[in-house]
Amino acid sequence: MGKEMLTGNGAAAWGVRMAEVDYIPAYPITPQTEIIETIAKWISDGAMDASFVTMDSEHSMVTAAGAASATGVRTFTATSSQGLLYGFEMIYTVAGWRVPLVMVNVSRGLSSPITLGPDHNDILAIRDSGFLQIHCETCQEVFDSILMAYKLAEDERVLLPVIVNMDGFYLSFTREPVEIPDVETVRSFLPEYQPEHAFFKPAQPMAQGVAVLGGEFYSYFKYQMHLASKNALEVYKEVCGDFEQKFGRKYRTIEEYMLEDAEYVLVMTNSFSTLGKAAVKRARENGLKAGLLRLRVLRPFPDPDIKNALKGKRAVAVIDQNISIGKGGIIYSEMAGCLYNEINRPLLLSFIGGLGGKNISPEEFELIFDKMIKAEDTGIVEAPHLLYTENEWKEMAGLKEIAGKG
Amino acid sequence: MDTIPIRSIREIPPEENMLSGTPACAGCGGLLTLRHCLKALGEKIVIVNAASCFTLLSIYPFTPFKNSWLYTAMACAPAGAQGVRDALDILIKKGKLDPEEDLKVVVLTGDGSAYDMGLSSTSGAIYRNLDFYYICYDNEAYGNTGFQQSGATPFASRTATSPPGGARPTGAQLQKKDLFEIWNSHRPPYLATISPAYPVDLVNKFRKAEQYKGPKLFISHSSCPPGWGFDPSHSVSLAKLAVETGIWPLKESVHGKVEHTFVPKKFKPVEDYLKEQERFAHLFKPVRQEDILKSIQETVNEYWRKHKLLS
Amino acid sequence: MLRLRFHGRGGQGAKVASRVLGTAAFLDGYNVQDFPLYGAEKRGAPITAFTRISRENIMERGVISDPDIVIVIDETLLSDPKAMPLSGLKKGGVVFVNTPQSPLESKERYSITDHVITLDLTKIGLDMIGKPVLSSLAAAVASRIAGIGEDALRDALEKELSGIISDRGILEKNTEAALYCYDAVVPVQMKTTESIREGENVINIPFETARVSSPAINATGNTPLRRTGNWRVFRPVWDYDLCTRCMTCVARCPEGCIQVNEDGYPYADYENCKGCLICARECPAKAINDVREMHSQSEEGEL
Repeated sequence: MGKEMLTGNGAAAWGVRMAEVDYIPAYPITPQTEIIETIAKWISDGAMDASFVTMDSEHSMVTAAGAASATGVRTFTATSSQGLLYGFEMIYTVAGWRVPLVMVNVSRGLSSPITLGPDHNDILAIRDSGFLQIHCETCQEVFDSILMAYKLAEDERVLLPVIVNMDGFYLSFTREPVEIPDVETVRSFLPEYQPEHAFFKPAQPMAQGVAVLGGEFYSYFKYQMHLASKNALEVYKEVCGDFEQKFGRKYRTIEEYMLEDAEYVLVMTNSFSTLGKAAVKRARENGLKAGLLRLRVLRPFPDPDIKNALKGKRAVAVIDQNISIGKGGIIYSEMAGCLYNEINRPLLLSFIGGLGGKNISPEEFELIFDKMIKAEDTGIVEAPHLLYTENEWKEMAGLKEIAGKG
Repeated sequence: MDTIPIRSIREIPPEENMLSGTPACAGCGGLLTLRHCLKALGEKIVIVNAASCFTLLSIYPFTPFKNSWLYTAMACAPAGAQGVRDALDILIKKGKLDPEEDLKVVVLTGDGSAYDMGLSSTSGAIYRNLDFYYICYDNEAYGNTGFQQSGATPFASRTATSPPGGARPTGAQLQKKDLFEIWNSHRPPYLATISPAYPVDLVNKFRKAEQYKGPKLFISHSSCPPGWGFDPSHSVSLAKLAVETGIWPLKESVHGKVEHTFVPKKFKPVEDYLKEQERFAHLFKPVRQEDILKSIQETVNEYWRKHKLLS
Repeated sequence: MLRLRFHGRGGQGAKVASRVLGTAAFLDGYNVQDFPLYGAEKRGAPITAFTRISRENIMERGVISDPDIVIVIDETLLSDPKAMPLSGLKKGGVVFVNTPQSPLESKERYSITDHVITLDLTKIGLDMIGKPVLSSLAAAVASRIAGIGEDALRDALEKELSGIISDRGILEKNTEAALYCYDAVVPVQMKTTESIREGENVINIPFETARVSSPAINATGNTPLRRTGNWRVFRPVWDYDLCTRCMTCVARCPEGCIQVNEDGYPYADYENCKGCLICARECPAKAINDVREMHSQSEEGEL
């Protein structure tokens, strides 16, 4: 098929089409709608052979998706932000059913105040659910990750649902060239789903999702999910190997950008990583040994790869595009947990940036590098810092005045 | 499924599709309802269950059913049914499932889900003309959590959250929602009320429903010994009294047209039904709350007058 | 520390008993914990409740697996393979059984080697309160055995029951009957030895695929293994001379426990019949009698 100019949403829809998904229960929410609209149109035109149903809420949508997956068909659905939270109960439930559902979340800041721009509090809210999480930087990656997600989810050593994340607007509505492979190659990478553990057949009745009473039994089921998720790290490597062989693009759990000899490292996720890479490049031009580590797989958390990549670094700054109110950055805490027992662990700095899609300017990146150097000099690491410029503060003041809060 | 109507309890299918040993309370009217529904539906079904007392029918590693089952959550069993039905249709279309081996999809919920939390999901499923059965066993409160007021709780009932007290001697102050009419306004192909005390009527309604593709919905007035406060042995007689007093009309609706399937020749006074239950005991002692009793009787009379079955 | 475990059936008042005892001990100046444990079942199924009483701070939580005192409110539980009321009882501990039998008879019947106290609480309840209400009576017995003062018990009954029983007259009858039970029990000098815990291996559990480790059941119709027949207080017994084989009982049984034999006569699966007695009440020929269960499940099998 070659390359096409596609938005992130368009790439997601193509991923679903090429994965030959059977069933898509849907519910609209900005900025995810283009995905389901595109799929609905293809089905209506006869270009895609699948069933599509518009549900009455995200709660119902996730339920129908999980139930179809539990019946044995390849299923996809997508949501964002408030919708993910509305379906939150079923996210945990469906993960517990151990069904290989694949979802896309188009990240968007959470209410209240209600907003449209992207940040990652939505996707990170479900990080403990059992869904595996793949976070994307480019539209190509969205397409590729959907194919990889099914292969990962349907592997017998895993059998957990996967959610693929992309930023609203900055990826969902942004067009860039995306390579769409031919369907035969995709089929050779991702064969038809053959359920052996979850289905409904009259000859082999099965009671699924049953209550488990007693902590000793409940612990077993929950911990098995954790072990399956940990297995996914190995399986993911196999999937990546296979993917590279078939399609030529190479993925890892993390992406290392100018990291090998770097001393000062940014840790980022999703589309703003591109801004981080540009900042690293500028810093290098100014003689600073900068690098960037992008977390692509957030669940399972790739501890070994991170530890290995950050060995011997002087300072690491985690830019969290999310905020755990009363604590700070969510990924910062996870990184700290990952590195704490390392002998040569770097200093770890925390920054909150890009909330609700707020831009991160070159000056803000410079401040981060300055703070890393200062921390290294003094040995003192400051409290989590919100990236915010004076101009933004002035603009905010103007708004407050109009709102009568002046 | 056989579609010829039966005439007596002797003709109820003998096969037990739900076995004994469930954790349901002794004398559970909901369980008796379900037993007959499953006899009518046969083995080739998948039950999609909402959070309710009946969540606990299947507790790992036990299940009473010979058929499949999927537990969802409180609000979304009809959405689960949508996913299962659609997936079965896909499997049939792709030749992966023999149409002869198709399963009927059956939603099972209590009134808390049906009347309150799951209403949106149910409305959606009926609107989408989903081909499924829906059984609501209505014991008129949140029974599984200890009998708190739900949208199905009748006026003046004591519940754990509507306790009659000195300042509020009535009990529940609100009228029971009319779920039958709420559902009926969607014009499903088949909708009926049933009672565990009228198994012949129940089985025949399922047999009649069989011919329709789309939503086939059933609400059962399900006597609840611990919640309503009566001896378990009275479970059937009380369910029967609800019908004989006119409190629980047995009726059906085909594409929106309502017919009563049983009209008592002479209605018993509602008091006969109320006085048998602890949840209404405060209406009789320490002082008789005459106005409330009258108003309950009047509501029932009004219903039957509206349907021109009482002059 | 004294650890008490109450065994009853849902609805019999084991939880309230543990709370009355808890409050009484609290009013008597002890550190106390009380805690009920019940499963998914509502009525009839075995439940347990616990009370810990100590002069020291209580550094324990959850179930009591090594009680000093066991209070058996429902005698049929004594041979219930799942309830196992005597399990873990400390050497030198005390067992109270609600039964018309003498302590010696109970000791023999249930092979109990520890000290047994008996009293027919059900009869006392029926005689003095007018209903087989057992919670306050069981609490009184437990208070006496645990050495709690009478005044504390009286105050605890008032405090705990006034929220549940609105009728003053019934509350007073409860208190009167409870104090009668308190006096009827001869206190014992109890000396239990702390049990020695058997060591447990802490392990790493291996990964198992979702075919095994998803919360799904591949077996079907296996709830009869639960044997809910042990919930039964009364058993339905058919008089085939009166039975007209009309099938009413078969149609009315919520459990599907009644089948018909080759001659068309109904019979119950007593292994799982919960004893709701809808069948007896609905039988048009009055051919089903209710017989009080006095014996345990295991003996039923021999009938």
